[in-house]
Formats: sequence, structure tokens, C-alpha cells
Amino acid sequence: MRKVSLAVMGVLLVALATVPVWGSDYLVLFFMLFCFYLGLAQMWNLLAGYSGLISLGQQAFIGLGGYTMAVMTNYYGINIWLSVILGGVFSAGMALFMSLFIFRMKGVYFAIGTWIFAEAILIWFSNWEYVKYGMGLFVKPANPPSMNMIFYAAFIAGVGAVALVYTLLRSRLGLGLMAMRDDEAVAETMGVEVFRSKLTCFVLAAFTTGLIAGVLYVFQVFIQPYKAFAIDWTVILVFITIIGGIGTIEGPIVGTMIYVLLSQLLAEYMSVSLFILGAIAIVVILVAPKGIMGTLNEKLGFEILSPRRQ
Amino acid sequence: MFELAQPILNGILLGGLYALIAIGMSMMFGIVKLVNLAHGDMMILSSYLAMVFSTWLGINPFIVLVLTMPAMFVVGYVFQGALINRVLGKAMEPPLLVAFGVSIILQNFLLMVFTPDARSIITSLSTQSIVVTEYLSISVLYLVNFFTGLLVIVLLYFFFQKTYLGRGIRAASDDEVAARLMGINTRRTYGVAMGIAMMTAAVAGLLVGMTFTFYPHTGPQYLIIAFGVVVIGGLGSIKGTFVGGFILASAQLLGAHYLGPGIQLLSGYVVLLIVLAIRPQGIFGSV
Repeated sequence: MRKVSLAVMGVLLVALATVPVWGSDYLVLFFMLFCFYLGLAQMWNLLAGYSGLISLGQQAFIGLGGYTMAVMTNYYGINIWLSVILGGVFSAGMALFMSLFIFRMKGVYFAIGTWIFAEAILIWFSNWEYVKYGMGLFVKPANPPSMNMIFYAAFIAGVGAVALVYTLLRSRLGLGLMAMRDDEAVAETMGVEVFRSKLTCFVLAAFTTGLIAGVLYVFQVFIQPYKAFAIDWTVILVFITIIGGIGTIEGPIVGTMIYVLLSQLLAEYMSVSLFILGAIAIVVILVAPKGIMGTLNEKLGFEILSPRRQ
Repeated sequence: MFELAQPILNGILLGGLYALIAIGMSMMFGIVKLVNLAHGDMMILSSYLAMVFSTWLGINPFIVLVLTMPAMFVVGYVFQGALINRVLGKAMEPPLLVAFGVSIILQNFLLMVFTPDARSIITSLSTQSIVVTEYLSISVLYLVNFFTGLLVIVLLYFFFQKTYLGRGIRAASDDEVAARLMGINTRRTYGVAMGIAMMTAAVAGLLVGMTFTFYPHTGPQYLIIAFGVVVIGGLGSIKGTFVGGFILASAQLLGAHYLGPGIQLLSGYVVLLIVLAIRPQGIFGSV
């Protein structure tokens, strides 16, 4: 069973990697979006599903990653992919700074604290001359990368994010995280460094989110604060993860597929697709709180990427 | 020095409105430990309702409350009964995320029905002001907001202290099992409590709609204000709600006064984050 599912995973991965070879331009675009959202959602899943940190401020790192990439490329003429990595580094730095404030808060306070932080950064950027206020920036690299290059960057970022969560959960840190999720007080007594584990996850998630956002804005070419720091990003990540299955690695994969399909079908009616996603997410919480993959796993023992040791 | 009198006075008056916005959310946190992330959107929903009724019927916006308050009571009762009650008591996340989902649904529903255009509720009050001195004038609308906020909060206080229903809600919140044994249907009680919270949101929605312009996506901005007021003042403290409203509104208006109107929201958030970092339980809250 395990061998079969691993083989299926391998085939899917190869299929995804070779989309530019066999697929049309539209399919390349479709799967590129899939990779972006997959990586971003997986990071939200790492926080909410495994570390007990409900962040409603992931858009802070998306905007920072995108803006760092744009500023480094435009103002300093740095290579675009290096700028993308710097976007991740800046986001991680901001996460460390934020932690001074918000890691004193718990639960709901943490959720809203992250959100307020992101809103504060949004207003800061829309009043900041250096980044041309709310007018936004066009990314102008010396050598604009081709569509295929951006696709592979997205592929590496998206699949890399999944691999990162998988390895993380199988590591010592991951064991600690799962112990914390089951019972924080007991885990702490048994020697799990709760604060440090959570902080590590928060900073890692910020780094990866900033990095993915950098690639995303290489593709989008134009960045503007009201879009880049919008809560809509986090809304989508929350819905993807809840529908697919929070606290499972496969969940965000399935959820992202549903989201990208739905958003393409209803491309001209963004508000309708958010409305539908919101309704599905609520039904999922009420009826099957573990989401699609969590429920399948529970009922059928169906699991592909298990962080468990066999 | 005199020039500061205006932003401080406005801060006090606006603080009263902020306290009114926050009181419904604070109340529900106190009763069912729910941070209703849809509170701001519910309030904006009632702004739209008030706008529609007052335009259709051509009546004074304050009389419209006779319609919007019962309507919002029903919305709150159904929201609590059909959704929140079903996920209460398990963990903190499900109710939070359900409310978040409702918030997004409401915003997009309003967007589909009313388009993204800016709206406001027209009233003759908004242009009137009482001139005190050269430096100081009081907007009549701000004054009305302040006293309406005060009135609603005082009424709510007496409701919880003196009436049977209010005591029942408090009992259900203090000890759900004991309250059930005493014959209180706790789940229905929570529904009624949410209905009442939404009635305060209906009043707040009317005042906000008369004072400022609003869009389908304005809700979260007021949610953050409500949260800020509750956090600065401390949970469950009525005095704290007023002080919290005053501090947040003053921080915003002084920030706008010194650094320009673009900074107004930012200075409020910064004060809020500082309070959260130094004293997470709020100024009047106990640990």
C-alpha cells in the first residue's frame, strides 16, 4: 500500500515537473498558480495545524517578500533570484521582530495581533515615499526571466515547502510539535522547548512565505500595497487548509487543487468564489472538522505523506 | 496648547462611538469566550440595512432602528444557534474560524448586492456643529454618537444586573452545567445574547453609517477597532471599554494631527500593539 502510494506520488510529481514540456501555456499558468498557493497554504498549515499558531497576518510576509524583491531588483540592480531569496530573509527578520510583541499573546490574541501587525505594515507602505506610496512598483529586472523559468522557480518553492514541512515533522522538532499539539503542558514538562519550537516554525514559515511571494511577484510584475498586504491572501490560505484538512500534509495539496480550479472557473467573479469557499469551509468545520484528507485518513487509513515513523 | 483641545475633545467623543462598536464583541467574549471575527461585518451589514430602509421609506434614520434592531437580533440568534453553538466548547479554533468564514461570506455578499461603491446614510446632523471658540467646535453628530453609545452601554449594564434574562445569561456563562440544572436552556440563552450583541451592532452600524462612508470591505477595520478597545480597556470591564475607546480614538486623532491623516489608523495600531506587548490583559483587566 505504502509502495503504491509512493509510486503514485512520484508519477504526479514528475507530471507536475514536466508540465512545460507536455502542457499548453494555460496549463503551465494553472499549475504555477497551484504551486504558489500550495506552498503558501502549507506554511499556514505548519503554523495552525502543527504549531498551534493561528496567524491571520501571513499577508505581511507576502507583501514584504514581494516588495523586497521589487526594491532589490529595481533600486539596487541585484539579480532577480537573489532578490527573491532576500525577500525571504527580510520576511524572516520581520517575523523575529514581530515575535517580540505577539509571542506574548496566546490563541485568539495571537491571531488578531498578527493581523493588526500586517495592517500596520500595509498603512506604513501606502504612506512610504521610498516604495512610491499606494501607487505600487513595476518590477523591472535587467534580464526578464522566461515563463518556464518562473514556472520552475514556483515548482521548486511549492514542492520545496511541502518537503520542508515533511522533513520538519519527522525531525526532533516535529516530534516536539506533535507532543505540544496533544498536550502543551505535558510536552513542556517532558522537556519540549515550547516557545523555541513555535518561534522556529513562525520564522521558517515567514521565510518560505516571503520567498514564494517573491517568485509570485516576479510573475505578476506589478506590486501594490493594498493588494500585496490584503487579508484576502490569508483568507484563501485558511480556506484551502481547512477544506483540504488542517494538520495533514496532503490536506493543503487537495485544498489548493479545489481552490485553483474554482478560482479559474469563476475567474471573473472573485467575490462569488470567495463566497462559495467560505460556505464550503464552514460546512467542513461543522460536519468534518478534519477536512477532506483528515476524514479520509480517519475512515480509511488513507495516508500518503505520513509524518509518523513506521 | 489650544490647538490640541480639538483632537482631544474629538477623541473623547469618538471614543464613545468606539466603545459602542466594541461592546457587543466584548459581551460575547465574556459570555461564550468567542472573538466574533464577523462583528465588524455584521455592523456594516446593519449600516447597509439602515441605508436601504431610510432611503426606501424616506424616514428619519433614527426611526429605522425600529426595523434594523429586530432584524439584527434575528441575524445574531440564527448565527449563534445554527453555527457557533455547534462548535462551542471543543477547542478555540473552530468557533474563531467559523466566524471568520461568516465574515468573508458577508463581505462578498454585500459586494455582490451593493457593488464596491462608497455609501453613507444621509442625515442633516452631519453638517451641524456647535462653535465654542475660535479653536474649538463640536460636531453635533459626534455628540449624538457619544451619548447614544453611553445610553446603550448603561442600558446593557442594567439589563445584565437587574433583569431575569440578563442574570440567566450571566449564570449560563459562569457555569453552564449548573445553569442547566437550574432550568436554563443555555444554548438558547447564548443565542439571545448574540441577538442582543447584534442589536448593539445595529445601533453602532447606524451611527457609523451616518458619520463615515462605508464599503462592503469596511467591516474588518471596525473589527480591529473593536478588538483594540476591548484589549486596551481589559475584557469584561464596562469602564475599561470607555477608557479603551477614548485611548484608541485619541491615539488615532493625535497621530493624524501631528503626522498627517494617512497615519491615523497606523498610530492607533501602534498604541494597541504596545499595550498588548506590555500589558496583554489590558489596562483594567485582571490576569
